[in-house]
Amino acid sequence: MSQTESVAKKSAAKKTVAKKTVPAKEKAEKTVKAAAPEAAKPVKAPSSSKKKSGQAFPFTAIVGQEEMKLSLILNIIDPRVGGVLVMGHRGTGKSTTVRALAEVLPLIDRVAGDTYNRTVDQFLEMENDRKGAGKIDPATIKLEKIPVPVVDLPLGATEDRVCGTIDIEQALTSGVKAFEPGLLAQANRGFLYIDEVNLLDDHLVDVLLDVAASGKNVVEREGISIRHPARFVLVGSGNPEEGELRPQLLDRFGLHARIVTILDVAKRVEIVKRRREFDEDPDAFMKKYHRDQLKLQKKIEQAKAILSEVTMDDKVLTDIAKLCMNLGIDGHRGELTITRTAYAHAAFLGEKVVTMKHVKDIAGLCLRHRLRKDPLETLDAGEKIERELAKVLGEAEAV
Amino acid sequence: MIAFTDIVGMDLAKQALMLLAVDPELCGVVIPSAVGSGKSTLARAFAGILPEETPFVELPLNVTEDRLIGGVDLEATLATGVRVVQHGVLTKAHEGVLYVDSLSLLDSSAVSHIMDAMSRGEVLVEREGLSEVHPAKFMLVGTYDPTDGEVRMGLVDRIGMIVPFTAQNDFRARKKIIDTVLGKRNSEDTEDELRMLAGLIMAAKEQLPHVSITKEQMQALVQTALSLGVEGNRADIFCIRAAIASAALAQRSDVEEEDMKLAIKLVLIPRATRMPEREAEAEEMPPQEEPPAEEEPEAEDENAEADTPDAEAEEEQKDTPDMIEELMMDAVEMELPDNILNISLASKKKSKSGSRGEALNNRRGRFVRAQPGEMRSGKVALIPTLISAAPWQESRRQESLKKGIKKRNALIISKDDVKIKRFRDKSGTLFIFMVDASGSMALNRMRQAKGAVASLLQNAYVHRDQVALISFRGKQAQVLLPPSQSVDRAKRELDVLPTGGGTPLASALFLGWETAKQARTKGVSQIMFVLITDGRGNIGLQAAYDPNAEKAPKEQLEQEIEALSRSIQSDGVAAIVIDTQMNYLSRGEAPKLAQNLGGRYFYLPNAKAEQIVDAALSF
Repeated sequence: MSQTESVAKKSAAKKTVAKKTVPAKEKAEKTVKAAAPEAAKPVKAPSSSKKKSGQAFPFTAIVGQEEMKLSLILNIIDPRVGGVLVMGHRGTGKSTTVRALAEVLPLIDRVAGDTYNRTVDQFLEMENDRKGAGKIDPATIKLEKIPVPVVDLPLGATEDRVCGTIDIEQALTSGVKAFEPGLLAQANRGFLYIDEVNLLDDHLVDVLLDVAASGKNVVEREGISIRHPARFVLVGSGNPEEGELRPQLLDRFGLHARIVTILDVAKRVEIVKRRREFDEDPDAFMKKYHRDQLKLQKKIEQAKAILSEVTMDDKVLTDIAKLCMNLGIDGHRGELTITRTAYAHAAFLGEKVVTMKHVKDIAGLCLRHRLRKDPLETLDAGEKIERELAKVLGEAEAV
Repeated sequence: MIAFTDIVGMDLAKQALMLLAVDPELCGVVIPSAVGSGKSTLARAFAGILPEETPFVELPLNVTEDRLIGGVDLEATLATGVRVVQHGVLTKAHEGVLYVDSLSLLDSSAVSHIMDAMSRGEVLVEREGLSEVHPAKFMLVGTYDPTDGEVRMGLVDRIGMIVPFTAQNDFRARKKIIDTVLGKRNSEDTEDELRMLAGLIMAAKEQLPHVSITKEQMQALVQTALSLGVEGNRADIFCIRAAIASAALAQRSDVEEEDMKLAIKLVLIPRATRMPEREAEAEEMPPQEEPPAEEEPEAEDENAEADTPDAEAEEEQKDTPDMIEELMMDAVEMELPDNILNISLASKKKSKSGSRGEALNNRRGRFVRAQPGEMRSGKVALIPTLISAAPWQESRRQESLKKGIKKRNALIISKDDVKIKRFRDKSGTLFIFMVDASGSMALNRMRQAKGAVASLLQNAYVHRDQVALISFRGKQAQVLLPPSQSVDRAKRELDVLPTGGGTPLASALFLGWETAKQARTKGVSQIMFVLITDGRGNIGLQAAYDPNAEKAPKEQLEQEIEALSRSIQSDGVAAIVIDTQMNYLSRGEAPKLAQNLGGRYFYLPNAKAEQIVDAALSF
C-alpha cells in the first residue's frame, strides 16, 4: 500500500468510527461472562464519540518550538523514552502541537476490533489467563491496522471513566454486568494526553502513577475483575505558573520540553498568517501541508524500522553516566532515558551509531526535570546541564 | 431592561462588545470595573444587539462540575432505563454568549473547565460512564471587580479583548446614567437606535470577509505585542482579528490606523507585562515630526528603500512596518501614562519590574465533587451514590434472591457505591510572609525569607500550601509574591528585592489582611502570617496612601498596629513573629506584636531558612 493510500484510509477509518453506536441487541449479548473483553465481538468503543468536530492544525505547519516537536517525535519512534512533559508560556501552541500529532503517527497492528488495542501476544496472555477459557489458536486471530491512538484525558474526567466501569445502560435494562473500558484502555499502546496536567486532581494522579508503573489497569468491583494492559506514552502540558506538578508525576515523564514565547517578529507574523489561513479554509490548508506531513510520517516510520540496528559505543555510555553523576541525579532513570532517547534521536536522523553529538542534543530534555530544584539557584537548569556536558565532552576529547 | 444604546459611558467596553458581535472568534470581552458602574447591565444589554435566537447563558458562581460540563440525568435515566445525558451550561452557551459576573470569584476548577472548552470549542465529557463530546463554542463576556482579586491569566489569555479598567467618575456621565435608569429617555428613540445598531453589526459581519490587512500592518501589530512583552501567540491573532472587525464595522475594506489603535487598546495593552522601550527616542523630538528611516534603531527593516526622498515619505510611511509601528507606539504611549497603573491585569508591580504574566494557582475552591470513599470519612453525596448504585439493583436483587433474601422494594446499596462529597477544602495553608525590608539588616532578613519561602514551596505540594510574600519599606508595603504554589514564580518575583527606608508595619498588616480576605473568597481557609521583623513600625497607615500626611506620633502608630493586630486575630488568622536580629536594645515590640496577633514570638538571631520554616510549621 502506498503512503498516500494508507493515509487516506487512515482518515477514512477515523471518520467512520465517529458516533458509531452499537445496536442494543448486540450489546445485550455482553453477559457477565463477556464482561471480560471479547475481542471478536463488536464492543461499543468509548472512543466512538471522540470525533473531533474540527480538524487539527497540521504538525508540520507549526512554527518553531522545535524542542517540543522533537520530544514528541522521539516518543513515537521509541515509546520507551517515557513520555514528555511540555511546560511553558500560555498561548504558545502546546496543546495544538500535541493534538496535531495524531496525523503523523504511524499505523500499528491490533487484534481486530479490540477496544484495548492489544497485540496478539497481549491478547493471548490475557484471554488464555481467564478461567474456563480454552486455549485460543493464534491463527484464528484477525488483525487490523489502526493509527497509534491519541487519547485526551480532560481535567473533569471521573475515575470510573478513566479506569473503566460497568455499562450503565446494560445494567439498568437487563441487570447485566458488562465492563465498559475506560480511557486507559483506549490509550493502550498509544498516547495519553493531559492538558493542564499540573491541575489534575490528586485522585487521578494516583491512578495514573499506579498504572504507569505497572503497565496494567486493574478494576475490581462486584464480581467484575478486569486486568488489562495499559501501556501508554504520557504526554502532559501546562503552565508552571498555575501550579507545581507533583514530584512523583514529574519523575514519570521521560522528557521535559520547555516552551517559550517566540520573540522573532517574522516568525510570529508567520504563525498568525498560518493560523488565519487554516481558520479560513482548513481543507485547503491541510492539502498544502499534505506532502510535508507524509514526509515526516515516512521519516518516523523509517526511524522506527532502523531503531533496532542502532548501536552505542561503551565510551558514550560511560560519558552519559559521568554526566548524570556530575549533575547529582538520583537513581538510574536519568541514564536510561538519555540512552534510549539518544538511540531514537540517532534513528530519526537516519544514523546507526549513537555519538555524543546525539546525546548533546537531547541531554537537556532528559535531565532538566531531574535536577534538584533550588529556587535560589541563579543558573538555569539547561545551562547547568550544558556546562556539565561541556566538561564531560572536554574530558572525552582530552583523553 | 436597559438597552445597549441607553448606556452612557463605558465607550471602550461598548466598542469591544460590538467588535465581538461582529467577530465571535474574538472569543469574548472582559470588563473589569468597580461596583455600581453598570458593567453587568451593559453585559446583559449586549444580548439585545445580537441576533434574536443567540443563546445568552449566565453562569452561576457556585456551579458544580456536572452542571458545567454535563453528565447523567439521573431522574430521566432511572425512569427510562436508558442513559440520558444532560448538557452542561457550557454547551447551552454554544454559539452564543456565556456571561460570568464576578469572573474573579469563580472557583479554579470551573475556570479550568471553561479554559479547556474555549481552547477546544467543545466539551469532553468523561464522567459517570459517559464518554461524549458536546459542542461548546461560545463568547465569554465576563465582568469583575478588581478589588475582589485577579482572574486567572490562563483564562484571560483565551478571551480576546480586555477593557482597560476605568473608575466611572465623570459626574455628567453619572447623571445621564441616573436619568436613563429613571426612564427619562424616550423608548421609541431607544428602539430605533437599537435597530440601527443591529443593522450596523449585520452589515459589518457581511463586510468582514472582505477586509484585508497588509503584511506590514500585521508586522507592526506583532512588533507592538513584542515591545509590550505580551506572552504567547494568541494575543497576536486576536489583535489582528479585532483590527479587521473594527474596519468591518466602519464598512471599510482596508484596515486603517484607528482600527489598529483600537485593537492595541483592547487586546495588547491589557496584556502588557512591561513598558515598551523605545531606544534612541530623543525627548525633544515630537514623534509626529516624521522620524526619518535612517534613525530607526530597529534592525528588522527588510525594506531596502530607506533613503526615500521627502516627497514620498508620506507614502512610504504607510508601507514600512517600522513606520506603522512608530505610529502604534505613539498610540500605546498615549494610552499608557494614564492607564498603565490602572490596567487591571498587568498589576502595578509588574509594570515596574518588568515581570511576565500573572496567574493564580490551583486554589481549592468551594467546589463539590463526589468521589468514592467511606461513609465515615465524609459527608455522603446522596445523588452520586444513588447513580452508582442504580445500575446494580437488578443484579443485586437476583443475587439476594438466590441467597433467599427478599428485598423487593428496598434499594440495595453496597459499600462500593458510596460517594462522599469533596469540598476541596484541602486547600492547605496560605503562609503570608511579611518581611521588614527597611533598615540596614533588611538584606539579611530578605535572604532568610526567600530561603524560607523556597523551602516551604518545595514541600508545599503535599499539603497544597501556598505562599505569599509582602515586603515593607519606605512608605508602604507591597505584595511581592501573590499567593502562589509555583517555585518558578517565587524565584522570579523575589529576584529583585529593594531594601532600605522606613518601616510601614501597619501598612504591611493591612495589606496582609487584604490578601488573606481575598484568599478566603477563593476557598483557602487557613491563613498564617509569618512576620519577620523587629516589630518597630515607624510609618503610619495614612502615610502609605497620602504622601503629604504628617508623620504620625508614636502613640498613634502603636495604636494603629495594636488595633489592626487584634482585628486580624479575631478574623481567625494565625500568626508568628520572628525576630532575627541581634537585639542589644530589645524594647519588646516584637513580642508585643505577637501577643496582639495572638501568635507566637520566636527570637532566632541569624536564623536559617529551615528554622523559619520549622517555626511556621510548628504552629
